[in-house]
Amino acid sequence: MTDTPSTQTTKPNPAPIWKRAIPPLIAAALVGVLGYTLLSPAKNVTTGGPLIGKAAPAFTLTSLDGVPISLASLKGRPVVLNFWASWCGPCREEAPLFRELGTQQTADGVAILGILFQETKEQNARDFIKEYALAYPNLRDPGINTGVDYGVSGIPETVFIDKAGIVQFMDRGGLTRERLNAGLEKIGVKGI
Amino acid sequence: MTGRMGIEVLAPSLLAGEGRGGGAVQQRTRPSRTLRLLPAALCLLLSFAHAAAPTTPPATLAPAQEQRAVAIQRNLRCPLCDTGESIAESRSDISIKMRSSVREQIVDGRSDSEIYTFFSQRYGNFVLLDPPKTGRNLLLWSAPLLALAGGGAVLWAFLRRKGTAAPASAAQDAEPYDSYLDQVRRDTGGGPG
Repeated sequence: MTDTPSTQTTKPNPAPIWKRAIPPLIAAALVGVLGYTLLSPAKNVTTGGPLIGKAAPAFTLTSLDGVPISLASLKGRPVVLNFWASWCGPCREEAPLFRELGTQQTADGVAILGILFQETKEQNARDFIKEYALAYPNLRDPGINTGVDYGVSGIPETVFIDKAGIVQFMDRGGLTRERLNAGLEKIGVKGI
Repeated sequence: MTGRMGIEVLAPSLLAGEGRGGGAVQQRTRPSRTLRLLPAALCLLLSFAHAAAPTTPPATLAPAQEQRAVAIQRNLRCPLCDTGESIAESRSDISIKMRSSVREQIVDGRSDSEIYTFFSQRYGNFVLLDPPKTGRNLLLWSAPLLALAGGGAVLWAFLRRKGTAAPASAAQDAEPYDSYLDQVRRDTGGGPG
């Protein structure tokens, strides 16, 4: 009469399945998040920035033709600011788009301004302008003061400012037609 | 973000004939290529950065101010360098400009936090090598502590459960099931069960 049901005493009840699944699930989630973050570039890499929605920093710079131009003088017009240099490959690729946009300029329409960023030789910039027939003012920024004010770290970088003088969009990296139009749309200008 | 900018500015000639259209985007999404180009880019940078640097006369600072300037410069990231180096170490033009801007602002009597704000308003918190411990950043700073506390709590609970479970099962093991003893216990109204 001394039967010993071993299962009753020696083997404890295993944890419920959902409890056992928690650690591997947490580990898998962590690996997933890490992998996603590593493999996908940040969303605001090419657009956005701390200046969006704020008043565009004022500047008065001299164009390559020696004419002083201030942002304030363009108040009431949407402005496209393009930081560039002749040595920059992507600037070269987007230049035809700016020429095309330049042909649409009217007296009260969008104003395009180029600002030289770390241009090593001014003559190269002049050759660039001639080569791409850019019909808008290109300004010198000798101390990179304006560049710093706009948070420019590399070029090309394009700032889209609306009629009220508020920065609505920034694009870093060579523009494509779609990206240029996306910026123009934000400042109420018809795309090209 | 810095992949494109750093390389382009440091080594323009390397990129002169780079791909069409979204060349910059392609570069950003191919870090291995960026990394391969980096040493060459740095060499190029060292060779011409100084020649191209804007020559702003450095503001003269008192020794204490100079120390402040250096401390601030060490806490600001060079916005176009891939390596995350500070503007105090970087030799790129933009870092030279930012260094002189820090000195100018110190001369103007601005406080450290005002100077940090000046740069973060332009470049975002990205430029701050010692981000402020406020807002969303609090999560970043506190996450390791929270994780440590959570892990500690789990470990404590686990050890405690094990500690109490072990004697109970040991007692059970020490007394094998005996139906006769069980019967006696039931009859006398005592014992487990």
